[in-house]
Amino acid sequence: MIKRSLILTIVLIGVLFWVVCPAKAADTVKVGVISVLSGPLAVIGNGEKWSAEMAINDFGTVLGKKIEFVARDHAYNPGIANEKAKELYEKEKVDVIIACPNSAAALAVAQQALIHKKPFISTSAGTTDLIGKRCNRYVIKWNYNDYMLATTVGLWGAEHLGKRWYTITSDYAWGHDLLKHFTAALKKKGGIHVGNDMVALKTADYSPYILKAIKAKPDVLVLLNVGKDTTNSTKAAVEFGLKKTCKIVHALLFGPNIKGAGPEVFADDYCAMSWYWKVDNPGAREYADKYLKLHGDRPHFMAAAVYSATWQYLEAVKRAGTTDPEAVIKALEGHTFRDMFANPGYIRPEDHMQVAKAFLLRAKQPEEIKEDYDYFEIVGTVPAEEAYGKPGQFGCKMKGF
Amino acid sequence: MDFHFIFIQLFNGLILGSIYILLSLGLTVIFGTLGVVNFAHGAIYMLGAYAAYSIVTLLNINFFLAILICPIIVGIIGMLLERSLISKLYKFPHFYNLLLTFGMMFFIQDAIKIIYGPEGESFNIPQMLGGAVNLGFMIYPKYRLFVILITAFLALGVWLFIEKTKLGAIIRAGTDDSEMVDALGINISRTFTLVFGIGAALSGLAGVLSAPIQDVQPLMGMDILVETFVVVIVGGMGSIGGSVLAGLIIGELITLGVIFWPPIATSLMYILMVIILIARPRGFFGRAQFFE
Repeated sequence: MIKRSLILTIVLIGVLFWVVCPAKAADTVKVGVISVLSGPLAVIGNGEKWSAEMAINDFGTVLGKKIEFVARDHAYNPGIANEKAKELYEKEKVDVIIACPNSAAALAVAQQALIHKKPFISTSAGTTDLIGKRCNRYVIKWNYNDYMLATTVGLWGAEHLGKRWYTITSDYAWGHDLLKHFTAALKKKGGIHVGNDMVALKTADYSPYILKAIKAKPDVLVLLNVGKDTTNSTKAAVEFGLKKTCKIVHALLFGPNIKGAGPEVFADDYCAMSWYWKVDNPGAREYADKYLKLHGDRPHFMAAAVYSATWQYLEAVKRAGTTDPEAVIKALEGHTFRDMFANPGYIRPEDHMQVAKAFLLRAKQPEEIKEDYDYFEIVGTVPAEEAYGKPGQFGCKMKGF
Repeated sequence: MDFHFIFIQLFNGLILGSIYILLSLGLTVIFGTLGVVNFAHGAIYMLGAYAAYSIVTLLNINFFLAILICPIIVGIIGMLLERSLISKLYKFPHFYNLLLTFGMMFFIQDAIKIIYGPEGESFNIPQMLGGAVNLGFMIYPKYRLFVILITAFLALGVWLFIEKTKLGAIIRAGTDDSEMVDALGINISRTFTLVFGIGAALSGLAGVLSAPIQDVQPLMGMDILVETFVVVIVGGMGSIGGSVLAGLIIGELITLGVIFWPPIATSLMYILMVIILIARPRGFFGRAQFFE
């Protein structure tokens, strides 16, 4: 008898869930973030996760529905990213996935978005394949890309920093890509590329390369590398006194890089970025202050992009009046907006690239840093059309739904 | 080709060679004496860099004192590890200790990540050694000259210690036949602890010296560990002279590669290793018992 009622209860609970769950899902909008939340790169991922949470809290409700949030760690691994994307779309039934650093990981998530016919807003992967050969209707590319980083410093630098340029490039697909875009931009402005070295990843001693660069007598040295390689190559350049005769430009230079190695290493170096917390966009400072209060740090541009992407997605849901993926994507395509991140920003319908003007930053001397985490000064801008190239130049053929 | 430029580059190659020598000396002494392939060596190197950071930046102690203190701290940590863990496995086949040290590497890395955070710490050249000095044929950073000199002294010191002192004689004897040495009334297990401590201290010193010119972060030992093994294998496992020679050759080889054909620069050391392993598996001055 007990057994029978037990079975009955289980069946009843099951039926109840089956009835209640879809009803509940329809009453909320669910945003998912996949990023790197563990390991040395967690400084990127945590900022993205926090910013998505902040945007959701600030937004409140959309179409009278509660907004739910879920985050997953991909540990910078494309395989895990693929699994997590599947889980979020299928089990968690998210309406959108945002963020996802690491280009290979973002391409995997983009594929899952296409399979599940749900939107994915890629904010932190640099590859132009997302808006090129492997673009699809469900993927929106927010924030920077590799073309923009290299082109911006090439165009602006050739005008303001000097004519003779020497490059030191990390020898893998990313470095080669950046070098190609960079030299093209340099040529456009009449700069001279006096030499290049391809250097293996994680090279400990950059001094022989720096000696070669000194011999070429450049006005500007470009370091197309990231992380540990950035620090090691810059330290060697400082030691050999290269900075006395020439400027250093970085492909990618983060606040955390500078915090790690010390501002004196990177003082007076230049880099391109899509956003900096001191930019005078509406609401940028409020966001940066709130971020500092909640998390004890200033947001980096990856974090700001996630805030903006989350906010604009919710805005698009509001405009569309539904969370239906096709309607929301149509509401985003060709849309112009002004927020803390982009002023103005525009989502190109041809390849789904979100474009805005790009910034040139100069790393401050240690004595210029008056406030915590204030590592850069904005010294120039490049218009969106020049920084992001022409839609379609990366080979995207956007298909219908 | 500009010979003056090549000469400058070759001189500069000494610095890379010096760091390799310091690291491989410790590794080779430990292997030669204890028969332990110490995979935690890179992590111990990283501990040296973090010790320097803690002492110089956090406690505001002079860098030159740190060069003395850090190796001692790291050496003591090494001895504790040997006593508590590694020594328990000597009676088992080699790969037991290989696995143990492999695990220790991850443990040490993660411990540092928890204590100091994963981003790395800022550590720059001390003011006194900053700037450059004119050597006549070139202007060279003072700090790099300093590292080359320290390495030369240390290599000589370690060699003299092993070859000319009584303790060195015991270590050499212990390597050949530790039971016999034990039977002669010498406490061989204490000697082993000391040797591991010395090896760890040398690695810690390499960490201190490379902290100002590299990125101080928890994984810094990971990449250099592989290169150090190449140096030790080429030089001959357990041979001090071999490590010095191989360190210098590989440092210069990479530098020459950068001048003439950069894409292959870092592969050259592995090509050399393959040639050595085929032609003379024991390495330059290694003993035949291990590989031939």
